[in-house]
Amino acid sequence: MGTENPNPRNYPLRPAATPFASQQPSTPFLSSGPVVGSEAPVFRPGPPAASNFQAPPFSGGPLVGTEAPAFRVPTSNRSSEVVRPPPPPSSYGPPTSGFQSFPNPPMPSAGQVPPPHISITGRPVIAQPTRPPPVPASIFSQPQPPLVSMGSPPQSIKTGQPNPNIPPPADQHFSAPMPSSQPSSPPTGTSYASGRGIYPGYANMQPNSVSQAPPMQPASFQLQQGGGYAPRAPPTSLLAQQRGYVPVPPVSTPSGIYSGNQFQQHGIAPPVAAQQGLAEDFSSLSLGSIPGSFDAGLDITALPRPLDGDVKPKSSADMYQMNCNSRFLRLTTSGIPNSQSLASRWHLPIGAVVCPLAETPPGEEVPIVNFATGIIRCRRCRTYVNPYVTFTDNGRKWRCNICSLLNDVPSDYFAQVDASGRRVDLDQRPELINGSVEFIAPAEYMVRPPMPPLYFFLIDVSISAVKSGMLEVMSQTIRSCLDNLPGSTRTQIGFITYDSTIHFYNMKSSLPQPQMMVVSDLDDIFVPLPDDLLVNLSESRSVVEAFLDSLPSMFQENMNVESAFGPALKAAFMVMSQLGGKLLIFQNTLPSLGAGHLKLRGDDIRVYGTDKEHILRLPEDPFYKQMAADFTKYQIAINVYAFSDKYTDIASLGTLAKYTGGQVYYYPNFQASIHKEKLKHELSRDLTRETAWEAVMRIRCGKGVRFTSYHGNFMLRSTDLLALPAVDCDKAYAAQLSLEETLLTTQTVYFQVALLYTSSSGERRIRVHTAAAPVVNDLGEMYRLADTGAIISLFSRLAIEKTLSSKLEEARNGIQHRIVKALREYRNLYAVQHRLSGRMIYPESLKFLPLYGLALCKSLPLRGGYSDVQLDERSAAAYTMMALPVKSLLKLLYPNLVRVDEYLVKTAEFDTKTRLPLTVESLDTRGLYIFDDGFRFVVWFGKALSPDITKNLVGEDFATDFSKVSLSQRDNYVSRKIMEILNQYRKSDPSYFQLCHLVRQGDQPREGFFLLTSLVEDQTGGANGYADWMLLLYRQVQQNA
Amino acid sequence: MDWLPFLWLIFSCMNLTLLGLNFYEFLGFSDLEADYLNPYELSSRINYVIVPEYLLHGALCILFLMTGHWIMFLLSLPTAYYNLKQYLSNKHLVDVTEVFKVVSTEKKARLIKLGFYVIFFGLVITRLALSVVSAVFADDEDIVAWSTIY
Repeated sequence: MGTENPNPRNYPLRPAATPFASQQPSTPFLSSGPVVGSEAPVFRPGPPAASNFQAPPFSGGPLVGTEAPAFRVPTSNRSSEVVRPPPPPSSYGPPTSGFQSFPNPPMPSAGQVPPPHISITGRPVIAQPTRPPPVPASIFSQPQPPLVSMGSPPQSIKTGQPNPNIPPPADQHFSAPMPSSQPSSPPTGTSYASGRGIYPGYANMQPNSVSQAPPMQPASFQLQQGGGYAPRAPPTSLLAQQRGYVPVPPVSTPSGIYSGNQFQQHGIAPPVAAQQGLAEDFSSLSLGSIPGSFDAGLDITALPRPLDGDVKPKSSADMYQMNCNSRFLRLTTSGIPNSQSLASRWHLPIGAVVCPLAETPPGEEVPIVNFATGIIRCRRCRTYVNPYVTFTDNGRKWRCNICSLLNDVPSDYFAQVDASGRRVDLDQRPELINGSVEFIAPAEYMVRPPMPPLYFFLIDVSISAVKSGMLEVMSQTIRSCLDNLPGSTRTQIGFITYDSTIHFYNMKSSLPQPQMMVVSDLDDIFVPLPDDLLVNLSESRSVVEAFLDSLPSMFQENMNVESAFGPALKAAFMVMSQLGGKLLIFQNTLPSLGAGHLKLRGDDIRVYGTDKEHILRLPEDPFYKQMAADFTKYQIAINVYAFSDKYTDIASLGTLAKYTGGQVYYYPNFQASIHKEKLKHELSRDLTRETAWEAVMRIRCGKGVRFTSYHGNFMLRSTDLLALPAVDCDKAYAAQLSLEETLLTTQTVYFQVALLYTSSSGERRIRVHTAAAPVVNDLGEMYRLADTGAIISLFSRLAIEKTLSSKLEEARNGIQHRIVKALREYRNLYAVQHRLSGRMIYPESLKFLPLYGLALCKSLPLRGGYSDVQLDERSAAAYTMMALPVKSLLKLLYPNLVRVDEYLVKTAEFDTKTRLPLTVESLDTRGLYIFDDGFRFVVWFGKALSPDITKNLVGEDFATDFSKVSLSQRDNYVSRKIMEILNQYRKSDPSYFQLCHLVRQGDQPREGFFLLTSLVEDQTGGANGYADWMLLLYRQVQQNA
Repeated sequence: MDWLPFLWLIFSCMNLTLLGLNFYEFLGFSDLEADYLNPYELSSRINYVIVPEYLLHGALCILFLMTGHWIMFLLSLPTAYYNLKQYLSNKHLVDVTEVFKVVSTEKKARLIKLGFYVIFFGLVITRLALSVVSAVFADDEDIVAWSTIY
């Protein structure tokens, strides 16, 4: 979200995300014109390139591939670009031949061994199972026949063309003209121009943004772009940079022509890369042959483990290079089934996980485009112009890639089209080369002037809030963040505190001190002042500071135990409903007075296992749902901070966050001395991260498919419009697809995510992510293109939703059944040709699915039964997991475990890559381990760990109870080192603050509580261990196979 | 005089009202799907009529029982049971936050109810006609009887 601040200083960096566009000015292309012929010699590697490959280390084979033009030599310059080579030389032969040429080098990692021989047909032939570890038949089978005919996206994409080779089928009609996704009613009263005048930041921005209006303004554009680009690479190396854009070789290139080339690269690359690059037909795991006697056959060390963390799906990115980055949009499988019968055989969810505002690394910011005269959109389906649209009729018309309607090109957007269908001004059009782009929305996208960032605080000041120290930490944190709130001079702020009465604060800037007004009539709430409860921060800064300074002392003596939460919520609603914004609720006790008061329904053990169990996880009072709906209607997002040591009914309170696009932060048993840093970090991140206000999101997709259900924290405003009062980079949304037609006739399905929002600087913007996915007619292909991360993300959301309507056990069984069904279907694909008895097979792309499934069943929202997790914790975790982006979710499910004692005493650099399997056997009594799930650290001290280390880390009291000791920087090398490591971890994942818990081996129940239950591969509390789980899945897969 | 035709007239009016209410609800859900209506409006509209609808059906049911129309009472019982169940499990009101998840099932339920009321309406109308006819005939007989006396 860093891109949102339309700050001229940022500007030069922006184009960095658009390698294609940006270097253009510095290359001859701009002037050299669109003639294809002239390009070809540049891209096409000359014969000399082949010499790069003379010595592939293991090219012992008879190789067809050796003479292939080397389009992708990692270090070479222009020739490294992938272009379509001249008509394939005969030596290319069948697509698979590339593989024959290079017998795989031994690939040591993950215990996988390449097969000794390869079948020409592309069908896998399994190597003799001579050894128990999995023997993946790493065969590059005939890759996706349908794609070959589709034209060659990769090559044309890389040359920066809007792929003229994909002629959208002419017969396609988008049958459901969707109403505009955006509130398109005319601006009420204030025009866009006047809006600009009001918000200076906005006005400044305008002239600087990449102006799209004048079709030909190369001069200024060039200048700016060049400036931004210079540091990254020499201007001439267009191709070298493009290579950076496509860093990894295609996993499964659509055309067999590439296979030889691809393989050569692998030959040169280190074995790990080679292993990733190979598209395997399947992997397998030897489980012994006789059911019942598995234990001998299953090699625990050989089980697949995601020790590299989340591996981004590469397959689709390589086929469609103009797709948006996978951090924004991930499909559960990049191969969309072409028929309903095929879809029904794919037992995993088909859908997408969208994180529209994911944080981008510096240099890859989403480019901002400003059309002066209206945004170019399809007339019928309202799709935004994107890299996959095609221009025809000499540039006067463009064809929508989603509904294939022919639209007119507005005169000021017109540009000539060259012989290959490529616009001549392509390089100046980021929206035609980038999968992700941000449009500046004109006035017709506003129903009111863009709102200012608004933060409102609803603070519980009852006795427990004061006693736990929450009030003090919170006031300090808010005060320290005042400078960094987004929106600079426009930001609005306000406070309400409550116990059994509600206290309003007049923060008028002319006052020296805030005025407190107490309302004690809870049944008929009124707001005592029409304004000045919500004030401009920069104007009333001194009053706000005075308030925050005095807040903890003001309620120091408060003995009130009641909490009039509902009425206070209503009061906040009345104050905020004019503008919308973000409401932060700090709640310490169970709401006890007025509307929405909750009963201590508690965590009743008798209810568990009965049909009424799920009711505990639902909001008790319809008041909360109704309020949440009203808040969303008025563009208010709610973040709930809950602190109680007793039952607070998070299930009810969290509803407010769930339907307003907010988040739940839960600090059970909050103690300022322990949790201070955590609250501080998370609250300040919540306040200062870039936020998109009053947003709506819609995902459009091509004809024949439709998004049918959405999962996450938001409210649906119409069938496919997500209302998101506030969005930020830590929120992801999932959606499931279904096929509407029995047979898809297209070869590609396009998806377009559009998020219309108001940036903190007061600008209305539309962030558009476009992605394409091939339609496949083969189940194996779907499996090959599957993305475990996205599948697990959808699974977790579905399972959590299921816990709201049925028992925990049913939710867990649901996951298990779907995994079993999917694996069984996969097995049926291959079981006929191969003798697979005694082995479990699974696609390479889904090798971690069983493990993540197991981890999901053991995650807080789904784990065990009554006694395993407290109800509040369960609910809080469920609300959190419903919003987590894929990467954080995978880390939460399979956390990092690293051994650090050796690093602490040596001077070696700490390597975060050496993750250990999550089992007790990884823990050595002489070691010191760090466990990191993204939300907390557990530092585990082995029994036989050198006392020196312990002493250095926790000081003299190392023999005492660890629950009272916290890890802090001490003046010695070991302590500095471990803090360095922890900070490194924290920096890599800043969404939440990982509080550090120290645990000594054998220190029950602490050890069990913090660490042992989180070791997902072990058998804990009635749940299966990893090996047992695999055997269980295997047995079930075998049944009715 | 014979009160039976009036009773059947009341029944048919009630039935017609129920039919209308259900159609109104069904239309609301269809509009929601077609995006002519937002969830807020839909829930306020439907929640406004749903309890009256249930009460009306209950009244109809009880009226049948009181007037001794056993068959009609038994026929109207399933819907009454469904309504009661919805009401007791607190599912009768439209939940504005989750309305899109239930919209297809709600539509289906309304459609079935609509069909039920249409059939029921047919029955009621027939009985009304019969009762009117029989009342007329009874009057005729009276007239005949009177005429024979005189």
